[in-house]
Amino acid sequence: MSTQSENASATSSVKERWEPRIERFKRGWSRYTQHKMGVLGILILVMYILWALFPSVFAPHSLEWRAFIGNDQYAYLTLQQKQQLPHPPAFGDPFFAPLGTTKSGEGVLTLLVYSAKNALYIGFAAGILSSLVGVPLGLISGFYGDTWVDETIQRIVDVMYGMPFLPFLIVLVAIRGISTTNIILGIAITSWLNNCILIRGETLSLKERAYVESARVAGASDTRIVFRHILPNVVPLAFVFLAQDAAAAILAQASLAYLGLADFKANSWGMMIETVKAKNHIYDAPWWLIPPGLAITSIAAAFYFIGFSVEDVANPQE
Amino acid sequence: MSRISTRYLAKRLVVSYLTLLVIMTILFVLVRSMPGSFITNMITPEMQPSQVERLREIWGLNEPLWKQYTNFMINYQTGEFGRSPMHKEPVWDVVIRRLPRTLILFGAGFVVAYTVGPLVGMYLGWWRGTSKDKIIYTSGLTMYSMPAFWIAWLFIWLFDFELGLLKSTYMVDQFGIADWTPWLAMTNILHHIALPLFSIAFVGWVGAMLVMRPSMNNVTGEDYVFLARAKGLSERTVMMKHAARNALIPVATQAIVGLAFLIDGSVLIESVFSWPGIGKLLVGAVLEQDYPVTQAAFFILAVLIIVMRLLTDIAYTYLDPRIKFGGES
Repeated sequence: MSTQSENASATSSVKERWEPRIERFKRGWSRYTQHKMGVLGILILVMYILWALFPSVFAPHSLEWRAFIGNDQYAYLTLQQKQQLPHPPAFGDPFFAPLGTTKSGEGVLTLLVYSAKNALYIGFAAGILSSLVGVPLGLISGFYGDTWVDETIQRIVDVMYGMPFLPFLIVLVAIRGISTTNIILGIAITSWLNNCILIRGETLSLKERAYVESARVAGASDTRIVFRHILPNVVPLAFVFLAQDAAAAILAQASLAYLGLADFKANSWGMMIETVKAKNHIYDAPWWLIPPGLAITSIAAAFYFIGFSVEDVANPQE
Repeated sequence: MSRISTRYLAKRLVVSYLTLLVIMTILFVLVRSMPGSFITNMITPEMQPSQVERLREIWGLNEPLWKQYTNFMINYQTGEFGRSPMHKEPVWDVVIRRLPRTLILFGAGFVVAYTVGPLVGMYLGWWRGTSKDKIIYTSGLTMYSMPAFWIAWLFIWLFDFELGLLKSTYMVDQFGIADWTPWLAMTNILHHIALPLFSIAFVGWVGAMLVMRPSMNNVTGEDYVFLARAKGLSERTVMMKHAARNALIPVATQAIVGLAFLIDGSVLIESVFSWPGIGKLLVGAVLEQDYPVTQAAFFILAVLIIVMRLLTDIAYTYLDPRIKFGGES
């Protein structure tokens, strides 16, 4: 009997604890869905996640597929007929490649779909890693503002700011070898600065709020104040930077790929653009040049859209 | 007179100098930890080991690392950058020839981006929530997401290849002009700079806009804006003179981040347009393991960023009279 009532009170306390949070989430969500931009961002992201998870469903061909003519299977054609067939890179039906083919006969759409995985992996991994470095450092730096701790962290940030981002990344990748993991690590090492500085600023202002002061007067420890009172207010902001970092990381990887510093075996959109340039088809194969750029733009834009909509939900400006 | 005390300025200068020293140290470590060295590219299979040793001696690679480090630190601060094994001439000559070209392109890009960005941001912040705001803001974010080199190639394809309006390679015409008049040189450079500048500015302005918009929106609620309105000033005056001036402060901070962003952009843009500047030089030097040039290019970019940071802090005091640095209060 007693255990039952205890259970009941336990469940009710769980309910009590979680109900306001669920309620808050629902309110936030309904606010979020008012932003067409944010909803669009989520839709684009979901599409790319589906591409990344089930590429074989969305791609018209497998990765090994090549639209190449002149093989034995075309031996029955006359020379004239062969010449009438489009030569890769080509845009058109005969190869059943909806967006045309590359110089080596791969389907552009197939490559596009199979590259989504790489972009999402780099975006999420680099974004999460740089948040994991930047947010705690920003919190510490802001909370112990104007002490040697803050000073040290800010000097490190100063030094890192003095390094131009992309050249530094190029050197890092050149040292550690060109692989996707190293590119992610390089991006994370160079991109935590903004998180750190902005979270620090937010923490500095939160620290002066009345409720933090009253918690301190009530005898709360530093750890408790940071985790219970400051962190929850910083999390939405951290999420915004996570989304922005993910977008920036995808763009950085594309830039590295364009300079020839990306894993040649991994399919990526940046690599596709690099190949168009390397094979000298910039001017006569727009169907090959434009889609990968649009894919990079749309996935980075999706992350930015989500980030800025979350920011508006977190601190409404009206 | 000035709102910055001499003591504060002196302190900032010392800190900036120390920052530069640390950056140089990191640079030295990074460059030396790249696998192989530029000697590797000079060695041919039929060389004797003694000849290889001789090469190492000539280029100073056989000295102990601490000695190389000390030499590097001392030489760089006296402006002695050494010789480039790739270009076969003193690094200083290579760099000094290219630096103005980068500064022209990149300075122009910076000016355009930080004129357009804050202006657009100002209007968007003032009209926040209207459909005009939403459309411009969303398209701005989309432009921000475009890879700089891709947009540059699209511009080249459209304006140079299809329309034949603008030049897409090099800074001036390579051949053909016998006598340069200043006027001819200027129009020629303008003709060539248009596309790269447009490519940099196309993406670059958004960063400033993103900061200006919320900042402007916060300012609209301030008392002094209310007062200015109550005085019967025109909407335009209130926006330009009273609100925007104060909203510009976060933009000044952002300019530093934007500076780094534009350097990245110009590294890519320079290699797309064969613009003979520092960025193109740097990428080539890293890939060819030309240590002296890599170090010099990094060094100069770092000095540039540090000086700009210092200048921004000084600019703060002029934008907001309330901010004082180390003033005796």
